Amino acid sequence: MIITPRILVRITLIVVIGVLLQVTFFSQVELFHISPDILPALVVILGLLGGSLTGAVAGFSVGFLLDCLIFAPLGPSSLVLISVGYGSGVYRERFDLGNRWVAPLLCMAMTLAAELLFAVLQLMLGVDTPVSGLLAWDLIIKSIFAFFLGFPMYVGIRRILRPALVDEQPKPRRRRRRPRPQTLEI
Amino acid sequence: MYRKEVRRRRAVLALLVIGSFVFLTATFGEGSGPVQSGVSTIFSPLENGASRALKPVQDLVNWVDETFDARGENERLKSELEDARANDAAGKAAIQENVQLSGLVGLPKAGTIPTGYEPMTGRVIARSPTAWYSTVTIDVGSGDGAAVDDPVVNGDGLVGHIGAVTSSTSQVILLTDPSSQVSGKVVPVGTQGIVSSEVGNTQQLKLDFIDSSERIGKGATVVTAGWSTGEIASRYPPDIPIGKVTRASIVDQEASQQVQLRPFADMRSLEFLQVLTGGGAG
Repeated sequence: MIITPRILVRITLIVVIGVLLQVTFFSQVELFHISPDILPALVVILGLLGGSLTGAVAGFSVGFLLDCLIFAPLGPSSLVLISVGYGSGVYRERFDLGNRWVAPLLCMAMTLAAELLFAVLQLMLGVDTPVSGLLAWDLIIKSIFAFFLGFPMYVGIRRILRPALVDEQPKPRRRRRRPRPQTLEI
Repeated sequence: MYRKEVRRRRAVLALLVIGSFVFLTATFGEGSGPVQSGVSTIFSPLENGASRALKPVQDLVNWVDETFDARGENERLKSELEDARANDAAGKAAIQENVQLSGLVGLPKAGTIPTGYEPMTGRVIARSPTAWYSTVTIDVGSGDGAAVDDPVVNGDGLVGHIGAVTSSTSQVILLTDPSSQVSGKVVPVGTQGIVSSEVGNTQQLKLDFIDSSERIGKGATVVTAGWSTGEIASRYPPDIPIGKVTRASIVDQEASQQVQLRPFADMRSLEFLQVLTGGGAG
């Protein structure tokens, strides 16, 4: 990804709008009693489009902003989302993204991984309340939501960041040779 | 060149991870700090606007979910209605008796809002996306009179308490949050215990530390105990409805029984909440 100030502004806007949409909309709607979590998918997509460094920085920023807005202890969300962003960036740098199912499948897998990692972090931090079996259902359904939301999100964000994507740069045009003007020798 | 790039990438990654740990160490168990308050204050108008603008779409999606749920809910409500009819006559008699006795001893009439508290209505503008933090953000803050530890209710009963405030927003820690513990009382028996929750289950609470010799019946109502010992007092005033007992089981090896209850307030669909201010919560 070619990061210019203009692209940086676009990425910042994507992060801010994504977090605001999550806390004000997606967290307040339910399907099968579960609210979708788009933030791991958002970080995965930024990692896939921008590489490991962009993914990690986006993950940190998303986690930090989220924790600030919900008044949670700062850090756990950032740690989890840094891993998610860096991991998906490394995937992009090593493997081919030719298949269109890669992005939604990676969103699903990384959402599951993020939720599990977050649970482990919370238990390590000393949450001593019993954990309900319903949490497993929550993780699975959230991952499935991430699969279905991953594809349109990938297409939309790719379109917004198109000017910065190396793969999307127009190939240099070959100059056509102009036919030499034929002059008549007199 | 490539090696330099890899080194730079690793350095940034290490910096981000260290930064996260520093934030975690600085803020864990400390409540909201100035950074969070500042960021939240800046973003609160955006949160408010986005929440209002997206309300119709939110209602549409929730309507679809509720339609799927309606059949089961209908059966449950029918059964509850039968119980309510049975309790109605006894309740009316008790209210009549209460009015007469209150008049005799000169107590003020108790309503939904406990005496001495001023209700302040706030709208839910944001919600935590994870089950590990069961919190919502409302659009009233310290500028409106809300303070940390103020009890929060809605039309159905107790919802939680204020965990953090900025000038224009407040974080409400719901009853279903792992950190929430409320001293509750089973009525009319009077048995007291601690109401807490399980991570990931927003439809059920549990009442612990109840003596197994005291039998708690299914359908009994649990309200806040509102204890006070000298200078220390519960943050919740007494007699705010919390939930209804759905199951009570005695553990043979233990002297206590665990009671499960369904909260009266539906924690999944909260829109308007009332902060009870001015009670001098302890």
